[in-house]
Amino acid sequence: MIELRNVSRTYSHGTKEIHALRDVTLRIETGEFLSVMGPSGSGKSTLLNLIGGLDQPTSGELFIDGRPLHGVTDDELTLIRRRRVGFIFQFFNLLPILTASENVSLPLLLEGIPYSKVKPKAEALLRKVGLGERTEHRPEQLSGGEMQRVAIARALITGPAVLLADEPTGNLDSRTSEDIFRLLKGLNAEGQTIVMVTHDPKAAAYGTRVITLQDGSLSEDTAAGGRAL
Amino acid sequence: MNLANLFLHISAKRVRLQVVHTVMTVVGICLGVAAIVSIGIVNKSVIHSFEDSINRVTGRAALQITGAAAGFPEGLLERVQSVPGVEYAVPVIDTQGILYGARENTLMILGVDVLQDSNVRDYKLSDESADIPDPLLFLARPDSILVTRALAEREGVKIDQKIRVETVNGIQTFRVRGMLDPEGPAKTMGGNIAIMDLPAAQMAFGKDGLIDRIDVTMIHGADLETVRSRIQQAIPEGYSVDTPAGRTKQVEMLISHFQKNINLISFIAVFVGMYLIYNAVSISVVQRRKEIGILRALGATRRQVIALFLGETFIIAIVGSALGAAVGVLFARSAIGAVGQTVSELYMRTSISEISFTWADPMIGFIIGMLSSLAAALFPALTSARISPISAIRSVPYSEEGFLSSGKLKVVSALFVFLAAVMLLLYKTVQHSPYLHSTHVMFAATILLLLGISFATPALLQGFLVLFRRVISPFVGASGRLAGLNLQKNIGRNAVAAAAIFYGISVFVSSAGIIHSTKQSVMDWIDSYVRGDIIVTSGHPIATTGAQNIPMPVDMWKEIEKVPGVLSADPFRKIYVNYKSRRILLLTLDIARRMQYSPFTIAEGKREDMRRLLPGRNYIAMNEALSAKEHVKPGDSVLLPTPQGPVRFTVAVINVDYSSDSGSILMDMNTYHRYWKEHLADSFSVRIKPGENVEAVREAIAQKFGRDRKLFVLPAREFKKEIRKVIEQGFAVNHAVNAITMLIACLGIIVTLLASVLERTREIGILRSVGMLRSQVSRVVIIESMLLGIVGGALGVGAGMIIGWMSLEGFLRGDYGASMHYHIDYASIFWALGLSTVLSALAGVYPARRAAKTNITEALAYE
Repeated sequence: MIELRNVSRTYSHGTKEIHALRDVTLRIETGEFLSVMGPSGSGKSTLLNLIGGLDQPTSGELFIDGRPLHGVTDDELTLIRRRRVGFIFQFFNLLPILTASENVSLPLLLEGIPYSKVKPKAEALLRKVGLGERTEHRPEQLSGGEMQRVAIARALITGPAVLLADEPTGNLDSRTSEDIFRLLKGLNAEGQTIVMVTHDPKAAAYGTRVITLQDGSLSEDTAAGGRAL
Repeated sequence: MNLANLFLHISAKRVRLQVVHTVMTVVGICLGVAAIVSIGIVNKSVIHSFEDSINRVTGRAALQITGAAAGFPEGLLERVQSVPGVEYAVPVIDTQGILYGARENTLMILGVDVLQDSNVRDYKLSDESADIPDPLLFLARPDSILVTRALAEREGVKIDQKIRVETVNGIQTFRVRGMLDPEGPAKTMGGNIAIMDLPAAQMAFGKDGLIDRIDVTMIHGADLETVRSRIQQAIPEGYSVDTPAGRTKQVEMLISHFQKNINLISFIAVFVGMYLIYNAVSISVVQRRKEIGILRALGATRRQVIALFLGETFIIAIVGSALGAAVGVLFARSAIGAVGQTVSELYMRTSISEISFTWADPMIGFIIGMLSSLAAALFPALTSARISPISAIRSVPYSEEGFLSSGKLKVVSALFVFLAAVMLLLYKTVQHSPYLHSTHVMFAATILLLLGISFATPALLQGFLVLFRRVISPFVGASGRLAGLNLQKNIGRNAVAAAAIFYGISVFVSSAGIIHSTKQSVMDWIDSYVRGDIIVTSGHPIATTGAQNIPMPVDMWKEIEKVPGVLSADPFRKIYVNYKSRRILLLTLDIARRMQYSPFTIAEGKREDMRRLLPGRNYIAMNEALSAKEHVKPGDSVLLPTPQGPVRFTVAVINVDYSSDSGSILMDMNTYHRYWKEHLADSFSVRIKPGENVEAVREAIAQKFGRDRKLFVLPAREFKKEIRKVIEQGFAVNHAVNAITMLIACLGIIVTLLASVLERTREIGILRSVGMLRSQVSRVVIIESMLLGIVGGALGVGAGMIIGWMSLEGFLRGDYGASMHYHIDYASIFWALGLSTVLSALAGVYPARRAAKTNITEALAYE
């Protein structure tokens, strides 16, 4: 379970202050597939970065499975990212020098587990996302859709509490996008909590719940088909 | 260990993929370490060679008594022999001659008491000479000489054959009476040693009644210190009673300036290597920003990212340092001969054919290589940890994160420059503090200044680009404008490239400034010193005592003056003397004659004061370097050791003299004769009568004396040219270091621009898609490169002039005197600016070609 209590994030840009998130309170239950919508600059990515431990709130509190993400050291936050969160980015963010299997293994390699032990698990995950035949290929030898599947497999390898997807199909054609959404849906069906940022209503519809941000505030929550909290 | 995974899966692949980068860094470290190792080995080998020859020539002697290089009365021998505890005290003439064989060879000549010397030294005669050396036979014939078997074989000389050796009395013929097996003294100087009977040697080398040294063995059980102090009391002050180890120490002191200079060069090589590593790791951090961002997002800690970069440097440093250690030993092997030659020419004869090698030498180089590499990589590695995962993984133009923000960078830069200025001020004002007025302070100030300016490079580049945009870019078309904007987008990374050029140019300009100033100062001094029209010398034009120079009888001036066309011939003699445990040069001239035409460059006092040096009065002139070291002023008196015992002299003036880096004293020749009883001259300064032809007179002198002795009769102009050539040769290593730094700076620019081009693939694709020509793309990259070169070059010129001046202040003026002034070398500045612009334009060519070849469709899809 993820919980945000009165979370705000302000950036200073010279003398100007930019309120990326204003006083957001939100609860995401385990097993939910939350779609986050909103126009550009509404704070979607900021929200995702805060949940993923890439950034910390200026004020408010944030918990993943009861463990606070606010007011912790950089090392603690890094370990939370490594062990509790799986990221899927719009631009895949695979390391071009590594093979698909090595890219998937990366979070566990950072834990210090030898590649020989991680590899079977990575290959299993690649098979799960339909890339069983391409484990030794480098990113440049893969299509966009395939790269995103590798990224999904990588996000899953630590068995994270939450899978965070930032416009995961923003760089893919509609057919490939659908495949990815179906894959995510399938994972959610297996109990994986997913938070996905998108500005495509069709994509958002794959979620079990859709929230909309406007100017850094929560403007709509369709959890129970109702209005914003 | 999680780091092992990172190295295995990321570093190892990176090293493989970035071959150019890796090879360049390895070569940089290798060169730095090789310089340290080779210079360390060469320095040690030179000292060992001296130590070895001192020990071999010393034999069993526990103590050696030496005085002025001109020799001292042999009457002293009896006093030493009667000191309790002394077993044997034997006289020695230790001098040199030139052997005229298949080629000219400098010979070490030992004149010994043949009846007694075997009590101190072991001579083993070879079989073919077994029937000869009856000592009495030796005594009976003053032309007898013993040579080593090695020398005899080389020259094809057999027993009873004659050899020709140049002595003080000209070329003399000696008969080889025996050959020495390579043992004891016969093993030194590569076998270039000959033994003569003492009286014969005294006669041949103008030392009648004089000896150079007394070697002493002690009675078994006698205490060294007791005997030493007893001898010291038995003889006049001014003589040194030393153990062989003590004599080695003296030699070490004599050549310490030379060693300091080459050590400085090895330091520069390491510093350049460090800068290369800093540059390489900085570029790597910028290039791999996204990779770091991804790793951080996936849970790599800051420490892991820092360790990644340090670990990669560690691996590269192991390879570079190990290679460098090996290459250093090879360098030392090939350089040892040349260094030995230089030391022989400038300081003291030696013959080094082999290096003294212990495993400690490459190990020390290896450790220095590892530590300096890691130190250089630390700063950019720390910067890598500051990269925020968010900005790195999002495909937006990023704001630069550095280890220090640009504001802090300016503060640090200002602080460093300020500290450098404070140190400089302290150095200049507190002249008497050994801590503040030391080369270390100047050294630290130089480093601080270099770092300070390096840190200021981003701000200075920014300022230049603003100026460029406002003033120049309207005139340089779209390519120029775009180049300016591109550079501005990535100030931090581009500043690293500009700093590389800055560093290269500053080393170039400072070194050129030092060379120019030294040359200028020395040549000015030579001009004021060499006032004759022709110089007659028997050795190398700048040979000092101990080098290849056989002195001539001083009375030869009378003979020279008889040559038609000669107006006057003034003798000049220089010898080393011990003064307060320093070996300084004693220069002697006929002051009365010189007063007529020599300007004498005076640092403190008036030219007129030189008259006080005239005969009959105990006055001397002391050079600046010595007066500064000993805090002596005009009017002070100093005690100089003479063969007659110590004599008090008054300092009339402080003069400018660059003859020796350990200090010099000038004295009238008659005064010298009075106390030293030695009547020799190293050279004659000849003036010709008005209207006479220099060439004709030169020819006439050479004709007259050329048969009897080997002479250099050079017109003053040629003599000065020779000196200039020798000075140039002395700076050959500096030129080599300059070339290396410029090369590294260029490599730095290529790597930076290449990284920049790769990063801008998409942007270049967009520009090409809207109609930019390939040539325009190339032009943009080349202009960027040139702009970096101009900024780096301008900064380098400024810093180079300051550092050149500081080096002169801190390193050279201490050794050569305060009159040595900094002379701006305008030619080098012109070259530096031209080189930095042209070389950086050339460095831009390859990246420009890469950029121009960009495939539009691939570039647009590039992420």
